Amino acid sequence: MWAVGVEEVLKKLENNPRFMSNVTFRLTVEAQEGVYEPIPEFVHPDLQALLRRRGIAKLYSHQAAALRAVQAGEDLVVVTPTASGKTLCYNLPVLQTLLEDEEARALYLFPTKALAQDQVAELVAWSEELGNRIKTYTYDGDTPGDARIAIRAAGSIVVTNPDMLHSGILPHHTKWMRLFENLKYVVIDELHIYRGVFGSHVANVLRRLDRICRFYGADPLYICTSATIANPQEHGERLLGRPVRVIDQNGAPRGRKDIFFYNPPVVNQPLGIRRSSLLEAEGIARELISHKIPTIIFARSRLDTEVLLTYLRKAFHRLGEPQETVRAYRGGYLPKQRRQIERELREGKVLGVVSTNALELGIDIGTLQAAVLTGYPGTIASTWQQLGRAGRSHEPSLAVLVATSSPLNQFMIQNPDYFLDRGVEYARINPNNLLILISHLKCAAFELPFTEGERFGEIDPAELLDYLTEEMVLRKVEGRWYWMSEHYPAAHVSLRSASTENFAVIDTTDGKTQVIGEVERFSAPMLIHEGAIYIHESRTYQIDHLDWEGQKAYAREVETDYYTDANLDVDLKVLDVFAQEELPQVRRSWGEVLVAAKTHMYKKIKFYTHENIGWGQISLPELEMHTTAYWFSLPQGFAGGLDQGALQSALLGAANLLGNIASLELMCEPSDLGVAAQLKSPFTQEPTVFIYEKYPGGVGFSEQLFAAHGRLLRRAISIIESCPCQGGCPSCVGPVEEVGPGGKEHTLWLLKGALGHGPRQQAAAAAAPEN
Amino acid sequence: MDLASKLRQLLPQKTSPAPPQPKLDLDPYLGGAEVVTPYGPCYLITKELPLDRRHGGWKLGEVFQASYHKLARFGQPRGELNLESTLFLDTETTGLAGGTGTYAFLVGLGYFTPESFVVKQVLMRDYNEELALLHLVQQELLSKETVVTFNGRTFDLPLLQTRFALARLGFQGAAGKVHLDLLPLSRRLWRYKLASCSLDSLEENILGVRRSGDIPGWAIPQRYFDFLNTGQGHLLRDIVEHNFLDIVSLAALLHRLQRVLELEPHSCRCPYEAEALARLAAEEEDLPLALDYLQAAGELASEEELQLRILRQGAAHLKRLGRHAQAAALWQRILAREEADLQSAEELAKYYEHRAKDLEAARQITRRALALAWAARSPKASDFEHRLARLERKLRRRAAEL
Repeated sequence: MWAVGVEEVLKKLENNPRFMSNVTFRLTVEAQEGVYEPIPEFVHPDLQALLRRRGIAKLYSHQAAALRAVQAGEDLVVVTPTASGKTLCYNLPVLQTLLEDEEARALYLFPTKALAQDQVAELVAWSEELGNRIKTYTYDGDTPGDARIAIRAAGSIVVTNPDMLHSGILPHHTKWMRLFENLKYVVIDELHIYRGVFGSHVANVLRRLDRICRFYGADPLYICTSATIANPQEHGERLLGRPVRVIDQNGAPRGRKDIFFYNPPVVNQPLGIRRSSLLEAEGIARELISHKIPTIIFARSRLDTEVLLTYLRKAFHRLGEPQETVRAYRGGYLPKQRRQIERELREGKVLGVVSTNALELGIDIGTLQAAVLTGYPGTIASTWQQLGRAGRSHEPSLAVLVATSSPLNQFMIQNPDYFLDRGVEYARINPNNLLILISHLKCAAFELPFTEGERFGEIDPAELLDYLTEEMVLRKVEGRWYWMSEHYPAAHVSLRSASTENFAVIDTTDGKTQVIGEVERFSAPMLIHEGAIYIHESRTYQIDHLDWEGQKAYAREVETDYYTDANLDVDLKVLDVFAQEELPQVRRSWGEVLVAAKTHMYKKIKFYTHENIGWGQISLPELEMHTTAYWFSLPQGFAGGLDQGALQSALLGAANLLGNIASLELMCEPSDLGVAAQLKSPFTQEPTVFIYEKYPGGVGFSEQLFAAHGRLLRRAISIIESCPCQGGCPSCVGPVEEVGPGGKEHTLWLLKGALGHGPRQQAAAAAAPEN
Repeated sequence: MDLASKLRQLLPQKTSPAPPQPKLDLDPYLGGAEVVTPYGPCYLITKELPLDRRHGGWKLGEVFQASYHKLARFGQPRGELNLESTLFLDTETTGLAGGTGTYAFLVGLGYFTPESFVVKQVLMRDYNEELALLHLVQQELLSKETVVTFNGRTFDLPLLQTRFALARLGFQGAAGKVHLDLLPLSRRLWRYKLASCSLDSLEENILGVRRSGDIPGWAIPQRYFDFLNTGQGHLLRDIVEHNFLDIVSLAALLHRLQRVLELEPHSCRCPYEAEALARLAAEEEDLPLALDYLQAAGELASEEELQLRILRQGAAHLKRLGRHAQAAALWQRILAREEADLQSAEELAKYYEHRAKDLEAARQITRRALALAWAARSPKASDFEHRLARLERKLRRRAAEL
């Protein structure tokens, strides 16, 4: 390996015709000068001295603006990109207050433990310089029992995560009386992470926090930071349930960044098959790392992370480099492993990190200079976050987005204007999702009885509390609702997913019994069914036994040349229609559905060649979920002369494609949605395409899709028409093996007909005489 | 679709709700009466037991008149125990989970007067009576200096503290009182003797009290909720009786503990108690007394495990007292019973090498221990290897000198 600068590697890439021929778009974000303001005079002299010792003689304009807003008593959201010194925006006012008032307290919320620990390390260093007057502690699941008592009594700044606030602090608020009685600030970092289901939960946790603060007579100021999103004001106000002031003029300087959109070459024109994005990303990352450019590689899934890690390690092993040059970092790792990887990154022992989006968040891992994104991250905001992960300093950096063959990826890579013009996403939450709301009403009633007329955020919860009373979870006496159960409700509500229980994966190799990872309940049938290959730290394990009731999977390390991929079969029943409209050609609707998902079989896929080398059966219980869906159905006669097989393939193709573009329309994670196509829906009695939400009760996406019906169909048509494949491929309607021959043509026909653009009338007329 | 039926569809079904029943008169079932406090009414059951009533082998009068000087060091904070100002306290709660949503719906309070043992049980007949309940508990606490509980340190007192804090009336609760929790002390005395140190088990095995038809603790929260939902007073009868017996047993157990702690080595009749007393003496740095108790325990003990424990502790105390030869004799007795006790083998080897200067004996013991350590894959093996190498070096040197 030889070390060269980013500029030199950039030149090499530019002079590499194979690389450049696959680049569909290139963007240079020029370096930017900083905008500064002097440190205001009211800042405590000790703090001024501390800043000066750190070489901070002036503030970025957004830091000064934040300080002024706090002085004026405004709740605020600071929106700036990574590495813009956002922590100073809250640390400065908080430390200022704590220096002036010994009794004052602040609560910091970070979305992950890793971020919280990072932050505490910095605050402790500051506090030491300020004479140890300010005690900062993290409070999370790892905090030992005796330390907890000290934190409750003496912690000036308590750093935790929403999950711990939800299950550890709020239900025990009397133990935290000192904190709540003196609470002056609530700091919420990475506000944009709190969107979708997670955000809807967190909004309710904040409603509960608000109740407890009122009980103790506290009225803290909220200081939040966020990565760039389209609606910081709206999102902040929805999440916090109060008006906020947005500060979004970034005054920080930044280095030049070169961004490439890279589309892997087509290797099979008729089938529209491109070279694997994993292999392409691996090649690019290998090039960067071998020039000693510290590089982060983002993969879309846990499985991809492990496959990439395996490839890269083998490659460096062949070159005689230590395997530890490249490490993986993902959600399923146990906390200790993750801390160690973060440390090694900072120390420079590691040059490449393969990560899922866990690192998208602002953990300070120092000097990454390049980012390789395997696949479009699903949202424009995430893409900018991941592209911005490298090059936090003033130095130049580069980033490559490698497209996969999914329709969404192909759309983005071929329409970079969309990426540039559309702007970043809206963060959407629905704190009033009934299921989420009811869970938190229970927790809130446990914390303090509800009084008649009391509001919960913006809503009047009386009707729901009466429901819980009927269910004998609450008891109403003299205008107050009390908790009437021996359970601890927060223990049954997980903020991060629909299910509360994770499955443990246990390594039993050579008589061991060691937990090596966790898998979320709804993913268990896909990832840890019996026979599945579970990859961990690039070692392959086979699942020997899955104890469904006990939520444990027993694995054994094995040598394999394949991995497994399970298929999910979905059955869907309509329960209730919230709205529907007869359009000239089709009927669109949205409403409540029951989704039953079951995995029947899995495929064995060979490493490197990705060929299918066998399959196996899975027999696990069906998982049921009540949720909401958008659907459209084709009336009698629509299909005309099209035979059943062709209609089936058209429906399947339309479902595949629409599901993908729906996530683009909603700017949500593609994994938030599922699709189903029914030739004769038991409910509509007609051919129907469904897009449903993968969270019980839904978070409001279905209604938005219902409204966007026409735009969805038009965009789908344009993708099919611009796709170079012949009969259908993963980039449009799905591979021919799945949708059948002619799938592309049939789907196009269906979509055009549905919009009234196609020759439907003619087809129907032609078909009529035969009937 | 209305909200409630929609929720029923989204959420798992429960049993259909029973209509709330009108409150029945509790007096015939519980024998108490409503009391009115500045915070509203609640229900109070008062029983006075004459001092000649027997419970757990003693008359309550004996319990009252005894001195409890031996228990003073176990209080939190350490403090003299005067039964005239001691409150026995036990709560029945709506769950074990803790947190601000767990309520103490029945609080039993017991204390002695010159005439009787009084048990007051304060009951909230519904959630709106909690303040009144807390007020009465607070009143009783105010007049006492010491609180005696069973598992109160981790359960009853923090829970009451939470309730008092939530009431926000400036109630002090048990803060500032001396607290004596009988559970940890009972564990120290009878941990090896009994499979369980629950109050049930202690009553049966230590106090000789048998309850019939007692409600199990886990059933209490639901029974209380059933009462709230139906208003049927008889549902509470078992809970009130259970709580009453807990309070009386607390007093008897306190006395029993004092009696055991008073035992002289020669008057011990139970080897486990003698062993426990030895531990307590050692904790107070009275090693000669600890050895006397161990001596007594050794004479009473028949079980092998217990014998070994006694010998090990005896050897350790003798070593600390500098009585090395006596300690060595005990290590030898241990090894005769349990060859694979590497710890004792190591101590004995040290003794021969450094005290008795008998290198040959030290080598013999070390060799045998090393073989056993290898067999057991013990991490001590390498220590023994070092020791053996050193001993052989010394022996060679000595041979050369001769």
